[in-house]
Amino acid sequence: MSTRDLVLVALFAAIIVVLGMLPPITLGFIPVPITAQSLGVMLAGCTLGARRGASACLLVVLLVAIGLPVLSGGRGGLAVFAGPTAGYLVGWVAGALVTGLIAERLVREGQPQLQQYLGFFLAAAVGGIGVVYLLGIAWLSYMSGKAFVETTLASLVFIPGDLIKAVAAALAGRAVLAGYPLLPART
Amino acid sequence: MLTGLDIEGDTPLHRAPARAKLVGLFVAAVGLFLVSSPFLLGAAAIVAAGLYASTGIAPREAIRRVRFVLITVLLVAAANYLFHSAADALAVLFRLSALVLLAAAVTATTTISAFMDEITLMLRPLERFGLVRAADVSLAVGLVLRFAPEILARYADIREAHRARGLPVRPLGVLVPLVILTLRDADTIALAIDARGFRR
Repeated sequence: MSTRDLVLVALFAAIIVVLGMLPPITLGFIPVPITAQSLGVMLAGCTLGARRGASACLLVVLLVAIGLPVLSGGRGGLAVFAGPTAGYLVGWVAGALVTGLIAERLVREGQPQLQQYLGFFLAAAVGGIGVVYLLGIAWLSYMSGKAFVETTLASLVFIPGDLIKAVAAALAGRAVLAGYPLLPART
Repeated sequence: MLTGLDIEGDTPLHRAPARAKLVGLFVAAVGLFLVSSPFLLGAAAIVAAGLYASTGIAPREAIRRVRFVLITVLLVAAANYLFHSAADALAVLFRLSALVLLAAAVTATTTISAFMDEITLMLRPLERFGLVRAADVSLAVGLVLRFAPEILARYADIREAHRARGLPVRPLGVLVPLVILTLRDADTIALAIDARGFRR
């Protein structure tokens, strides 16, 4: 990893940390408040690509583990990993990786705008929602003992908010690509 | 702004080496999942709460830190009670609470630098294969701590700039310039790091 890549990873991790410090947004039609932090995870894959995006998320997870209050609401420390929802946090790394892998294949500079939007949305939805939920729900089912079906169903209330974030990640991802392209192209 | 969750003190847990605490936490985690008796797990939760209190943390701060995780634990326990049995619910409640409290006790008594030392040690096998460099990891952690306050200030600046021009402050309208302006600094920062010979 070049020094520039290392710095990009650290700066994006810092952006994710800052997104966690902003107050959560509540939308009328969704029961749960939306935090911008998991939007940052999708955007990491869309902006930096698989390797650097996943490294940025891994760095945030490491900061949580060593006891820095970098998650939304000032949460942090090893207690987060002991809770039943830790899989969603660990899932960020794999989520950003998959988001990046898809984005690197689907999105190019110079494509029509719509195609870039769709490519980024697909990447953010599959990586940032699909993969993150897969790991999050697997962990939750293990931790919640016998009631794993019920707790899994309950976690689905967050899906609408996350779909809005995937749309936002696609819009922001394309705007960043137009302003300061960093996404590596892959065939 | 970004300070660690460790609190100053000289309790037995503070004096214990970080590695012993981490290994102990891991062993406790495995052990707690092997036991299913609510009575034993309840005893474990009481011991864990006692250890957490023994760190000398202020009660209000102690509750604030574990509140969110304990609420999720409570919800999971409630689901077990509603759909299965009270014994299952109590087992899950005590097991996860014990684990959360133990983990919080380790975090409260271990400094960031002690954690970084352990991480450097754990990375050593990977380093031997040339996969990652431990020095890079601590450099990256340092960069995040250095630049997070600056990025937060930049976020406020961009919002002010929108307001000054009478533009509505929309989340995306702020996020995009924030990401571009921040990542644009990468070249300058990388040059500064290389010029000082930090990475060889």
